[in-house]
Amino acid sequence: MRIELLYYPECPSHERALELLRDALALEGIDAPIEVIRIDTQQEAEQYRFVGSPTIRIDGREVQPQPHLPYRLTCRAFLHEDGRLSPLPSLQTLRAALRNPSTEGGDEDGNRSIGV
Amino acid sequence: MEIGQSAYDFQLPGVDGKTYSLKDFADKPVLVLFFWCNHCPYVKAYEDRVIQLANEFKDRVAFVAINSNDPTQYPEDSFENMQRIAQEKAYPFPYLFDETQSVARAYKASRTPEFFVFDEERDLKYHGRFDDNWEHPNQVRHEYVRDAIRSLLENDIPHVSHVPPIGCTIKWKH
Repeated sequence: MRIELLYYPECPSHERALELLRDALALEGIDAPIEVIRIDTQQEAEQYRFVGSPTIRIDGREVQPQPHLPYRLTCRAFLHEDGRLSPLPSLQTLRAALRNPSTEGGDEDGNRSIGV
Repeated sequence: MEIGQSAYDFQLPGVDGKTYSLKDFADKPVLVLFFWCNHCPYVKAYEDRVIQLANEFKDRVAFVAINSNDPTQYPEDSFENMQRIAQEKAYPFPYLFDETQSVARAYKASRTPEFFVFDEERDLKYHGRFDDNWEHPNQVRHEYVRDAIRSLLENDIPHVSHVPPIGCTIKWKH
Protein backbone atom coordinates (compact mmCIF):
# COMPACT_ATOMS: atom_id res chain seq x y z
CA MET A 1 0.00 0.00 0.00
CA ARG A 2 1.37 3.42 -0.95
CA ILE A 3 0.49 6.17 1.50
CA GLU A 4 1.35 9.79 0.73
CA LEU A 5 0.93 12.91 2.83
CA LEU A 6 1.62 16.12 0.95
CA TYR A 7 1.81 19.39 2.83
CA TYR A 8 2.44 23.10 2.49
CA PRO A 9 4.59 24.20 5.44
CA GLU A 10 2.81 27.55 5.87
CA CYS A 11 -0.36 25.67 6.73
CA PRO A 12 -0.14 24.49 10.34
CA SER A 13 -2.27 21.34 10.04
CA HIS A 14 0.28 18.89 8.66
CA GLU A 15 1.80 17.67 11.93
CA ARG A 16 -1.61 16.87 13.34
CA ALA A 17 -2.56 15.28 10.01
CA LEU A 18 0.45 12.98 10.25
CA GLU A 19 -0.54 12.00 13.79
CA LEU A 20 -4.08 11.26 12.67
CA LEU A 21 -2.84 9.20 9.75
CA ARG A 22 -0.57 7.17 12.03
CA ASP A 23 -3.50 6.62 14.40
CA ALA A 24 -5.67 5.42 11.52
CA LEU A 25 -2.98 3.02 10.32
CA ALA A 26 -2.57 1.60 13.82
CA LEU A 27 -6.31 1.17 14.28
CA GLU A 28 -6.57 -0.62 10.94
CA GLY A 29 -3.57 -2.80 11.73
CA ILE A 30 -1.68 -1.63 8.67
CA ASP A 31 2.10 -1.50 8.77
CA ALA A 32 3.11 0.69 5.86
CA PRO A 33 5.43 3.66 5.51
CA ILE A 34 4.07 7.15 5.00
CA GLU A 35 5.70 9.13 2.23
CA VAL A 36 5.77 12.76 3.37
CA ILE A 37 6.13 15.27 0.55
CA ARG A 38 6.68 18.97 1.12
CA ILE A 39 5.16 21.37 -1.41
CA ASP A 40 6.75 24.83 -1.53
CA THR A 41 5.96 26.28 -4.94
CA GLN A 42 3.02 26.64 -7.28
CA GLN A 43 4.97 24.61 -9.82
CA GLU A 44 5.24 21.76 -7.33
CA ALA A 45 1.54 22.10 -6.47
CA GLU A 46 0.69 21.54 -10.12
CA GLN A 47 3.24 18.77 -10.54
CA TYR A 48 1.84 16.86 -7.56
CA ARG A 49 -1.85 17.76 -8.19
CA PHE A 50 -1.91 19.45 -4.81
CA VAL A 51 -5.17 21.28 -4.01
CA GLY A 52 -4.22 22.20 -0.47
CA SER A 53 -2.60 21.10 2.73
CA PRO A 54 -2.81 18.38 3.84
CA THR A 55 -3.40 16.13 0.84
CA ILE A 56 -3.49 12.45 1.72
CA ARG A 57 -3.55 9.71 -0.90
CA ILE A 58 -3.85 5.96 -0.49
CA ASP A 59 -2.58 4.11 -3.55
CA GLY A 60 -2.87 7.37 -5.48
CA ARG A 61 -6.45 8.12 -4.45
CA GLU A 62 -7.54 11.05 -2.35
CA VAL A 63 -9.08 10.26 1.03
CA GLN A 64 -11.69 12.95 0.35
CA PRO A 65 -11.76 14.12 -3.26
CA GLN A 66 -12.31 17.80 -4.00
CA PRO A 67 -12.75 17.99 -7.77
CA HIS A 68 -13.53 21.68 -8.15
CA LEU A 69 -10.42 23.03 -6.43
CA PRO A 70 -7.40 24.30 -8.36
CA TYR A 71 -3.84 23.28 -7.55
CA ARG A 72 -2.54 25.83 -5.05
CA LEU A 73 -0.63 26.64 -1.89
CA THR A 74 -3.12 26.91 0.95
CA CYS A 75 -4.87 24.95 3.67
CA ARG A 76 -7.78 22.80 2.59
CA ALA A 77 -11.07 22.01 4.25
CA PHE A 78 -12.45 18.55 4.92
CA LEU A 79 -16.09 17.77 5.50
CA HIS A 80 -16.72 15.77 8.65
CA GLU A 81 -19.52 13.34 9.34
CA ASP A 82 -21.28 15.87 11.57
CA GLY A 83 -21.37 18.43 8.74
CA ARG A 84 -18.64 20.74 9.97
CA LEU A 85 -15.63 21.82 7.92
CA SER A 86 -12.19 21.23 9.38
CA PRO A 87 -8.54 21.70 8.36
CA LEU A 88 -8.14 17.94 8.91
CA PRO A 89 -9.93 14.83 7.69
CA SER A 90 -11.76 12.87 10.34
CA LEU A 91 -10.29 9.67 11.72
CA GLN A 92 -13.30 7.83 10.27
CA THR A 93 -12.56 9.20 6.80
CA LEU A 94 -8.94 8.06 7.02
CA ARG A 95 -9.88 4.60 8.31
CA ALA A 96 -12.47 4.14 5.58
CA ALA A 97 -9.96 5.14 2.92
CA LEU A 98 -7.42 2.67 4.31
CA ARG A 99 -9.97 -0.16 4.42
CA ASN A 100 -11.12 0.43 0.86
CA PRO A 101 -8.32 2.13 -1.03
CA SER A 102 -9.77 1.22 -4.42
CA THR A 103 -13.26 2.54 -3.76
CA GLU A 104 -12.89 5.43 -1.35
CA GLY A 105 -11.79 8.80 -2.58
CA GLY A 106 -11.40 9.93 -6.12
CA ASP A 107 -9.67 8.66 -9.15
CA GLU A 108 -5.97 8.92 -9.59
CA ASP A 109 -6.14 12.23 -11.31
CA GLY A 110 -8.45 13.72 -9.18
CA ASN A 111 -8.30 15.11 -5.95
CA ARG A 112 -11.54 16.56 -5.53
CA SER A 113 -15.11 16.95 -4.05
CA ILE A 114 -15.88 19.41 -1.36
CA GLY A 115 -14.32 22.60 -0.28
CA VAL A 116 -14.94 26.17 0.63
CA MET B 1 1.58 45.74 14.96
CA GLU B 2 2.82 46.13 18.53
CA ILE B 3 0.77 46.05 21.70
CA GLY B 4 -0.06 49.64 22.70
CA GLN B 5 -0.09 51.01 19.15
CA SER B 6 -3.15 52.87 17.92
CA ALA B 7 -5.55 51.38 15.42
CA TYR B 8 -4.99 52.47 11.83
CA ASP B 9 -7.98 54.05 10.21
CA PHE B 10 -9.41 52.70 6.97
CA GLN B 11 -12.23 53.15 4.55
CA LEU B 12 -13.48 49.81 3.32
CA PRO B 13 -16.66 48.59 1.64
CA GLY B 14 -18.83 46.18 3.55
CA VAL B 15 -21.00 43.40 2.20
CA ASP B 16 -24.04 45.50 3.15
CA GLY B 17 -23.12 48.22 0.64
CA LYS B 18 -21.89 50.72 3.23
CA THR B 19 -18.36 52.08 3.60
CA TYR B 20 -16.82 51.73 7.05
CA SER B 21 -14.08 53.50 8.97
CA LEU B 22 -13.05 53.52 12.63
CA LYS B 23 -15.48 56.28 13.53
CA ASP B 24 -18.37 53.97 12.72
CA PHE B 25 -17.48 51.94 15.81
CA ALA B 26 -16.72 54.85 18.13
CA ASP B 27 -19.78 54.21 20.28
CA LYS B 28 -18.37 50.91 21.57
CA PRO B 29 -15.71 50.78 24.30
CA VAL B 30 -14.00 47.76 22.76
CA LEU B 31 -13.16 47.04 19.13
CA VAL B 32 -12.35 43.55 17.87
CA LEU B 33 -10.94 43.76 14.39
CA PHE B 34 -10.13 40.46 12.76
CA PHE B 35 -8.75 39.28 9.44
CA TRP B 36 -11.06 36.75 7.93
CA CYS B 37 -11.84 35.11 4.60
CA ASN B 38 -14.16 32.60 2.98
CA HIS B 39 -11.93 29.72 1.97
CA CYS B 40 -9.72 28.99 4.99
CA PRO B 41 -10.73 25.92 7.03
CA TYR B 42 -9.45 27.56 10.21
CA VAL B 43 -11.88 30.40 9.63
CA LYS B 44 -14.60 27.80 9.18
CA ALA B 45 -13.53 26.07 12.39
CA TYR B 46 -13.93 29.33 14.29
CA GLU B 47 -16.91 30.81 12.46
CA ASP B 48 -19.64 29.76 14.88
CA ARG B 49 -17.54 30.67 17.92
CA VAL B 50 -16.89 34.17 16.64
CA ILE B 51 -20.54 34.70 15.71
CA GLN B 52 -21.56 33.56 19.18
CA LEU B 53 -19.11 35.90 20.90
CA ALA B 54 -20.12 38.85 18.71
CA ASN B 55 -23.78 38.28 19.53
CA GLU B 56 -22.99 37.92 23.22
CA PHE B 57 -21.18 41.27 23.39
CA LYS B 58 -23.08 43.13 20.68
CA ASP B 59 -24.09 45.99 22.97
CA ARG B 60 -20.59 46.89 24.13
CA VAL B 61 -18.10 45.50 21.64
CA ALA B 62 -17.73 46.23 17.94
CA PHE B 63 -16.65 43.21 15.89
CA VAL B 64 -15.32 43.92 12.39
CA ALA B 65 -14.20 41.26 9.92
CA ILE B 66 -11.82 42.14 7.08
CA ASN B 67 -10.99 39.98 4.07
CA SER B 68 -7.70 40.96 2.45
CA ASN B 69 -7.12 37.87 0.32
CA ASP B 70 -6.50 38.19 -3.40
CA PRO B 71 -9.68 36.88 -5.06
CA THR B 72 -8.00 36.46 -8.42
CA GLN B 73 -5.97 33.60 -6.99
CA TYR B 74 -8.68 32.49 -4.56
CA PRO B 75 -12.08 33.07 -6.20
CA GLU B 76 -13.88 31.78 -3.10
CA ASP B 77 -12.72 34.98 -1.40
CA SER B 78 -14.44 37.32 -3.86
CA PHE B 79 -16.70 40.11 -2.64
CA GLU B 80 -19.73 38.30 -4.05
CA ASN B 81 -18.88 35.20 -2.03
CA MET B 82 -18.32 37.38 1.04
CA GLN B 83 -21.85 38.71 0.61
CA ARG B 84 -23.26 35.21 0.16
CA ILE B 85 -21.53 33.76 3.23
CA ALA B 86 -22.33 36.75 5.45
CA GLN B 87 -25.97 36.32 4.55
CA GLU B 88 -26.01 32.53 4.90
CA LYS B 89 -24.34 32.64 8.30
CA ALA B 90 -26.13 35.82 9.41
CA TYR B 91 -22.88 37.51 10.39
CA PRO B 92 -23.68 39.91 13.25
CA PHE B 93 -20.71 42.12 12.28
CA PRO B 94 -19.64 44.13 9.22
CA TYR B 95 -17.63 42.05 6.75
CA LEU B 96 -15.26 44.36 4.84
CA PHE B 97 -13.23 43.89 1.68
CA ASP B 98 -9.63 45.14 1.72
CA GLU B 99 -9.11 44.91 -2.02
CA THR B 100 -5.78 46.78 -2.07
CA GLN B 101 -4.52 44.78 0.94
CA SER B 102 -3.33 48.07 2.45
CA VAL B 103 -5.18 47.49 5.73
CA ALA B 104 -3.67 44.04 6.22
CA ARG B 105 -0.24 45.52 5.55
CA ALA B 106 -0.84 48.42 7.96
CA TYR B 107 -1.83 46.02 10.71
CA LYS B 108 0.99 43.62 9.74
CA ALA B 109 -1.57 40.84 9.63
CA SER B 110 -0.38 37.53 8.24
CA ARG B 111 -3.11 34.96 8.86
CA THR B 112 -6.78 34.27 8.74
CA PRO B 113 -8.18 34.28 11.32
CA GLU B 114 -6.11 36.85 13.22
CA PHE B 115 -7.57 39.03 15.96
CA PHE B 116 -6.75 42.55 17.18
CA VAL B 117 -8.53 43.78 20.31
CA PHE B 118 -8.49 47.53 21.02
CA ASP B 119 -9.52 49.49 24.10
CA GLU B 120 -11.66 52.61 24.22
CA GLU B 121 -8.75 54.80 23.08
CA ARG B 122 -8.25 52.29 20.28
CA ASP B 123 -4.89 51.17 21.54
CA LEU B 124 -4.04 47.56 20.83
CA LYS B 125 -4.37 45.36 23.93
CA TYR B 126 -4.48 41.85 22.49
CA HIS B 127 -3.27 40.35 19.23
CA GLY B 128 -3.36 36.76 18.01
CA ARG B 129 -5.54 33.70 18.00
CA PHE B 130 -9.10 33.37 19.20
CA ASP B 131 -8.58 30.58 21.71
CA ASP B 132 -6.29 27.64 22.38
CA ASN B 133 -8.11 24.84 20.58
CA TRP B 134 -9.29 25.25 17.01
CA GLU B 135 -9.96 21.55 16.70
CA HIS B 136 -12.21 20.85 19.69
CA PRO B 137 -14.41 23.73 20.88
CA ASN B 138 -15.42 21.74 23.96
CA GLN B 139 -11.78 21.35 25.01
CA VAL B 140 -10.86 25.04 24.97
CA ARG B 141 -9.05 26.10 28.13
CA HIS B 142 -8.09 29.68 27.28
CA GLU B 143 -10.43 32.02 25.43
CA TYR B 144 -7.97 34.77 24.62
CA VAL B 145 -10.29 37.16 22.80
CA ARG B 146 -13.12 36.71 25.28
CA ASP B 147 -10.75 37.23 28.20
CA ALA B 148 -9.30 40.37 26.61
CA ILE B 149 -12.80 41.78 26.07
CA ARG B 150 -13.80 41.05 29.65
CA SER B 151 -10.67 42.68 31.02
CA LEU B 152 -11.13 45.81 28.93
CA LEU B 153 -14.79 46.12 29.85
CA GLU B 154 -13.69 46.01 33.49
CA ASN B 155 -11.05 48.68 32.82
CA ASP B 156 -8.35 46.11 33.38
CA ILE B 157 -5.40 45.05 31.24
CA PRO B 158 -5.70 41.64 29.55
CA HIS B 159 -3.52 39.04 31.27
CA VAL B 160 -2.42 37.73 27.87
CA SER B 161 -1.57 40.29 25.22
CA HIS B 162 -0.22 38.12 22.41
CA VAL B 163 -0.54 34.54 21.23
CA PRO B 164 0.66 33.82 17.67
CA PRO B 165 -2.30 33.48 15.30
CA ILE B 166 -3.03 30.09 13.78
CA GLY B 167 -4.61 29.70 10.36
CA CYS B 168 -4.07 30.18 6.66
CA THR B 169 -1.66 32.77 5.35
CA ILE B 170 -3.14 35.92 3.86
CA LYS B 171 -3.06 35.50 0.10
CA TRP B 172 -1.06 38.46 -1.16
CA LYS B 173 -1.24 39.77 -4.69
CA HIS B 174 1.83 39.02 -6.80
